Amino acid sequence: MLKIDGLTARRGGKTVLTDISLAVGPGETLAVLGESGAGKSTLVAATLGLVAPQLGTVTWDGRPLGRGGAALVMQEPRAAFNPALSLRRSVLEPLRAQGMPDDAARIDRLCAGLELDPAMLDRKPYTVSIGQAQRAGILRALIAAPPLVLFDEPLSALDAVTQKQTAGLITALQREEGFAALIVTHDLGYAAAHADAVAVLRAGRIEETAPAADFFRVPRSAYARSLVAAATSLGALERRVA
Amino acid sequence: MNDVVQLFLRSAIVLTGTAVVTFALLWHAPGDPALSIAVARFDSAVSDEVVARIRAEAGLDAGFWAGFAHWVVPLLSGDFGKSSVTGRQVWPELLDAVRLTVPLALLGLAVGLALSVPLAIVAARRPGGWIDRGAVALASFGAAMPAYWLALLLILVFAVKLNWLPAFGAGSASSLVLPALTLGLGTGASLTRILRSSLLEARGAAFLPALARRGVGSRERAVAHVAPHAMIPVLTIVGLELAFLMEGAVMVEVIFGRPGVGSFLVDAISARDFPKVQGVVMLTAVLFVTVNLVIDLLYRLVDPRIGERHG
Amino acid sequence: MADFRAVLVLVAVLAGLALFGPLIAPNDPTAIDIPNRLAQPGEVYPLGSDAMGRGILSRLLHGARWSLGLAFLVSTIGLAIGVAVGLLAAMGGRFADWAMMRTTDIFLAFPDLVAAVVIAGVLGAGTSSLIFALTVTGWMRYARVARGVGLSLKTRGHVVQASLAGLSRPAIARWHYLPALVPSLTVVWTGMLARAILGISALGFLGFGVQPPTPEWGTMLLDARVHIRSDPLQMIWPGIAVVACVLSINLAGDALRDGLAKRGAG
Repeated sequence: MLKIDGLTARRGGKTVLTDISLAVGPGETLAVLGESGAGKSTLVAATLGLVAPQLGTVTWDGRPLGRGGAALVMQEPRAAFNPALSLRRSVLEPLRAQGMPDDAARIDRLCAGLELDPAMLDRKPYTVSIGQAQRAGILRALIAAPPLVLFDEPLSALDAVTQKQTAGLITALQREEGFAALIVTHDLGYAAAHADAVAVLRAGRIEETAPAADFFRVPRSAYARSLVAAATSLGALERRVA
Repeated sequence: MNDVVQLFLRSAIVLTGTAVVTFALLWHAPGDPALSIAVARFDSAVSDEVVARIRAEAGLDAGFWAGFAHWVVPLLSGDFGKSSVTGRQVWPELLDAVRLTVPLALLGLAVGLALSVPLAIVAARRPGGWIDRGAVALASFGAAMPAYWLALLLILVFAVKLNWLPAFGAGSASSLVLPALTLGLGTGASLTRILRSSLLEARGAAFLPALARRGVGSRERAVAHVAPHAMIPVLTIVGLELAFLMEGAVMVEVIFGRPGVGSFLVDAISARDFPKVQGVVMLTAVLFVTVNLVIDLLYRLVDPRIGERHG
Repeated sequence: MADFRAVLVLVAVLAGLALFGPLIAPNDPTAIDIPNRLAQPGEVYPLGSDAMGRGILSRLLHGARWSLGLAFLVSTIGLAIGVAVGLLAAMGGRFADWAMMRTTDIFLAFPDLVAAVVIAGVLGAGTSSLIFALTVTGWMRYARVARGVGLSLKTRGHVVQASLAGLSRPAIARWHYLPALVPSLTVVWTGMLARAILGISALGFLGFGVQPPTPEWGTMLLDARVHIRSDPLQMIWPGIAVVACVLSINLAGDALRDGLAKRGAG
């Protein structure tokens, strides 16, 4: 299981994360909720080892996350792909980089799970829709069967209908593949529907960690309460408009 | 303040690197330098003993770094060493050469400025107009014109056909006209190109319409606001033009048979007189690094926001 | 895209001239014909002959192979060195960047043509010295551009993904950096090609370049200079060849740059 222990990280000369401790087991989904500027993307980068932590450790089953130990689904689906290469080449990159054979059957199976036409993979990133690009991004993240997948605001670039569809596909695939998922988002609705546990990140610190069911019933911290209250009133507003 | 210190540090590193690279080039040059010195001084038949003595005297018998130190330590106090051919001090002769090249370069720069500044201003007044297009065409043509061919063409027209000016030598003031014209036309072409585009850029700057609305007159806008903005690229150009003038001077001096740094260098290379070659190289490097340092410092004065100049 | 095609056509024309120019040359460019020395343009020698009775047109056409072929070579080797240095600076750590950029500064601390004259002259006249001299003094602009573009790519999504996937550094450079470098490096390459043509002929003119009797435009000008009074046409032709090549390459480079700028803006 993923253990983030006492992580403190700096970026651009400022301490962005302070003493973060989190854990996610296989098959589980942890949603880290936070507003923009809370340090969400630094948390992702530090977990992946793209930013060296000042203090603390990130481990999987007691060992550091090595090559192929974790994959990432990014916020901007098309920018995550090399514009000069076909989607298929990019999707196969993790396999080839780790010396694994191209697994056509696995691609087909994952494509089916993602409701993605495999022929779409022969196109360049800027010729497919954002929703298709994001599903190809998820495909690339899962292709080499990493034990841990990080999602950095995976739905925010998508329209409402596609958001719902993609969220459902991720959860279904997770049930099948059994990876641990750490999802960084500001979308409480997503966390409520799909996460097993929720952590609230505010100004670089973890404000509260709780099982999702408890969190949405009785948020403990004042900040979490205001978040949930705001989301609920917005939800009520949505229902009224609809 | 800290980055000013860094600028000086960087200049020192660049100069040290240039010295090492220059010395390495001459160290690895084909042929035995001691033997060529001996031959140059005493004519062919020299004994091995003499060659060995010269080798020790010139610091050539030790290793690379010892040889480097033998050359560079005196250099730090301004001692350029002795010519390996004549045995005379390099510095006085080099200084004489510099004294002959500087007026030529300045005159060339003056001609270049006299041509380019009015042309660029007129051209930038109506971008796309016929004067502008003519200026751009002229500048492109000038950039493609090698200095030595331009010199030959000028000699052909003004010395051979019209017989107005001397083609070679450095005796009279009139002998300076064609070399300065060659340098000036080349400099003028590249200056026109850059001045024009920096004027256009400065004029298109976003703040000008706002100033106009505030009632700042067009002359004042041009003097107080357009000019400082056009200054930044101009500063860079001064550095680049220096390189152009130096290259031009080498070619022009050789073609017109004028003494100066260029002929000094080419003669030293042909004679394999390495102390002289090293002298010219290091003097030029010091000049360039100093000019670039001054430009970097001026940049900070003109626009304090600039942390680093990007080439 | 149209501009890119214009550059391709131009490169093809120049390459064709360098490759096939000698085939259409009417005379042997090195055959000495003293009775017909300094001949006026005529049937045998369409542009006249030089002081040794060698046909000027044939020497120009054969010279294209040397002037343009060497320029292609020099600017392309410089490209390879510059890209390697620039990408090492951009992809390596802070120290690699610092070291690579200070090295670049050292080589920029000197006017490049003067440096080329010193290097070629000290190493001894000849084609290999010429190639070495112009390459050593001609890689820095590539390095700066490659580093600049490389640094901007570092945080791009697909580059991050490639390193997460565990792709090796050379593979990341090959597949994720190089394709993005192509447009701006092509612009620099055209500029350096023009510079190399000027440099080769300048060194030839000073006697430090390609050695006689090989026909090369700069050495042809050097030979012709002596006859400026009696036969000025001799120095006109090689000069026109140099200016025409450099001018057309520069114009193509400008068109390419403007085209890329427009595409970048739109």
